[in-house]
Amino acid sequence: MMARSGAGRGAGRKRRRGAGGGGNMAAPGPRLRLEAALGFLLVLAGAQALVPSHRLDARDLARLRAVLERPFTDVRSAYYSIVGLSSLGARVADEKAACKFIKSHVDSSSVESLFYAAQSMQVLSACEVTISNETRELLLAAVSEDSSVTQIFHAVGALSGFGLPLASQEALSALTARLSKEESVLATIQALETASYLSQQADLSSIVEEIEDLVARLDDLGGVYLQFEEGIETTALFVAAAYKLSDHVGTEPAIKEDQVIQLMNAIFSKKNFETLSEAFSVARAAGALSQNRFHVPIVIVPDGPAAVSHHQPLLRLQVTNVMSQLLTQVSVKLDQAKSVSSKATVLQQLPFTLSGDFFELNFMNVKPASGYYDFSISVDGDKRFIANKVELKVKVSTEVGITNVDLSTVDKDQSIAPKTTRVAYPAKAKGSFTADSHQNFALSFQLIDVNSGAELIPHQTFVRLHNQKTGQEVVFVAEPDSKNVYKFELDTSERKTEFDSASGTYTLYLIIGDATLENPILWNVADVVITFPEEDAPSTVQSKNLFVPKPEIQHLFREPEKRPPTVVSNTFTALVLSPLLLLLILWIKIGANISNFSFAPSTIVFHLGHAAMLGLMYVYWTQLNMFQTLKYLAILGGITFLAGNRMLAQKAVKRIAAEQSSRLAKYRTLR
Amino acid sequence: MRGAAAAAAAAMAGSVRAVARRFLSEYGGGTAGRLKALDAFLLYVLLTGALQFGYCLGVGTFPFNSFLSGFISAVGSFILGVCLRIQINPQNKGEFQGISPERAFADFLFANTILHLVVINFVG
Repeated sequence: MMARSGAGRGAGRKRRRGAGGGGNMAAPGPRLRLEAALGFLLVLAGAQALVPSHRLDARDLARLRAVLERPFTDVRSAYYSIVGLSSLGARVADEKAACKFIKSHVDSSSVESLFYAAQSMQVLSACEVTISNETRELLLAAVSEDSSVTQIFHAVGALSGFGLPLASQEALSALTARLSKEESVLATIQALETASYLSQQADLSSIVEEIEDLVARLDDLGGVYLQFEEGIETTALFVAAAYKLSDHVGTEPAIKEDQVIQLMNAIFSKKNFETLSEAFSVARAAGALSQNRFHVPIVIVPDGPAAVSHHQPLLRLQVTNVMSQLLTQVSVKLDQAKSVSSKATVLQQLPFTLSGDFFELNFMNVKPASGYYDFSISVDGDKRFIANKVELKVKVSTEVGITNVDLSTVDKDQSIAPKTTRVAYPAKAKGSFTADSHQNFALSFQLIDVNSGAELIPHQTFVRLHNQKTGQEVVFVAEPDSKNVYKFELDTSERKTEFDSASGTYTLYLIIGDATLENPILWNVADVVITFPEEDAPSTVQSKNLFVPKPEIQHLFREPEKRPPTVVSNTFTALVLSPLLLLLILWIKIGANISNFSFAPSTIVFHLGHAAMLGLMYVYWTQLNMFQTLKYLAILGGITFLAGNRMLAQKAVKRIAAEQSSRLAKYRTLR
Repeated sequence: MRGAAAAAAAAMAGSVRAVARRFLSEYGGGTAGRLKALDAFLLYVLLTGALQFGYCLGVGTFPFNSFLSGFISAVGSFILGVCLRIQINPQNKGEFQGISPERAFADFLFANTILHLVVINFVG
């Protein structure tokens, strides 16, 4: 769905702020142009520059504060709540109780606990504590190359929070040494925040460069969101830390405007905060983005839907920062307003006037035609503003009036002149009109803009005929001709099928509607008696019910092959066994016998093995598969072979002995 | 004319009968008992195969695999029986110097085992 690609836009590439949108398209290089084109395609319709899609509105803020105002469970949750609320510009309900809580719950042997306590106490007014020497030694010892980045961060933060002296240069060298070993995103973010506690005399540029590296590690989701794969909490902490450090050092962070907006979209897309740390990170990010020295994203919010009309001619806007705090010390200007349909510029270079909390512009002064307009609005007043040029789609509504409504019956042969009746809205025509086989019914009217007198072509101009008896209704579309006069003609022979040939009195309604009309119209114009030529209509017209069960489909199983009757096949089975009988008879006649059967063990084993093999064939037929049969056959065959070999060898010896003795006997008789 | 034809036919019939009688007597006397038993077996197999074929012609070939397997069993057994008969006939001793009758019988059994393994596999 969303294309994920590392935001590998190099630091050297400069992108111009577009004037009136579309400026981002002029980026050098074909690949960058492709990226820009893709980003453009995925951005909200009607906006050509990247526009913030998410911010903390009043409800989100309330939810965030509710999470942050939960009672403290330990020093860490106290820190999150106190510092988080202060980022949002709010204070904890009972500061004295908070101070007492922290003092009683801090663990002087843990650097982390001391950090939370120190930072919270710095925010709370009139909350101080004396630090023992041991605690100070503990904190100073933690600032070394042997501690992790997190420990250095907590130690430096605690020392700074308690107002204790700190050797910035040593801390910095420990930090850089440690950072080269730990590459995780969270460690780098903590390093950024640590550097913001160090003295400005130290050379913090190496840490400041980490901001750019971190930006390169962000994931671009569809050109709209930018976040770390570790999640939104990490992204929010990064934003807070980057701007804190940049403010401290005084250099603009290496984050481009579009990237700031994308980060904003990602962070403030989270509306439900499961953990206190998530809420804390989003609050810090909101505070950072609304009050830093370099980049302040602003959001232009129209009051209700962006629509004007004669009753409401003013377009009202509010300008807020990410925390929905109103900015009134700004100047809002309309760069140009273009009609969407005709692309003509209606208004240019007009400032909005501030009235209370809203910036207003009276658009109806230029008497625009109804429809949609693209407004290009820019907000100035502070160099830090970003996303200060937006495109807004404004709807201008009007009221429609129907004039020159003529109802007539036209003779098909055109032998009689058509009778025309004029009706005025909202009256109903007196009498009824007929439409049958030799008369057509015709309706014509014009639609005008009541305020300007111009002709209107709304989206919906329907003529609805409702059968009073059966409840049938048929709807037709009235089409305008070249002079924008709407015409509708009912020919009974042509429209038979729509009416199901049901004759009777029909009520004629005219339906006019459009998104830009404030007064859609449903007008009962007249009654029309329609008579259809042949009475082939069903006596009771039943509404076509499409949702009845359909006839059941019976599955046709594959028909089994034709087999002969059981009698025939049984007869044949008996017939096939009869040659066996013949064989036995012949054998008896020939005199075959088993009188020569010797009961030697090999003979018995051979015959048993052979019988077993035949039995195996039967079992194979009924149960086994080829592999099992081969296995058993190998065993049985082996035994049978060995025994048979022995038996046949003995027989051969006997035969040869018999032959030799008969030859000897023959030889002897010859002599 | 008719008489000559009838006489010729009678003579032919008579000669066929005479040939048959002569053959049977020679066969009965000149063939060893063992061979006659084998010949009876071959006749049995032949009849079984012919009956199967006739049935298939009569009622159709469904299921074809069963018919084939039975028929091939009959034909295969017949061929192997003929081979055995040739090999153990004492009059052919000159042509089968290295193959004793026992060896021929063992070959017959082995070949039959393989044949019927395939037949049983195919009969379904």
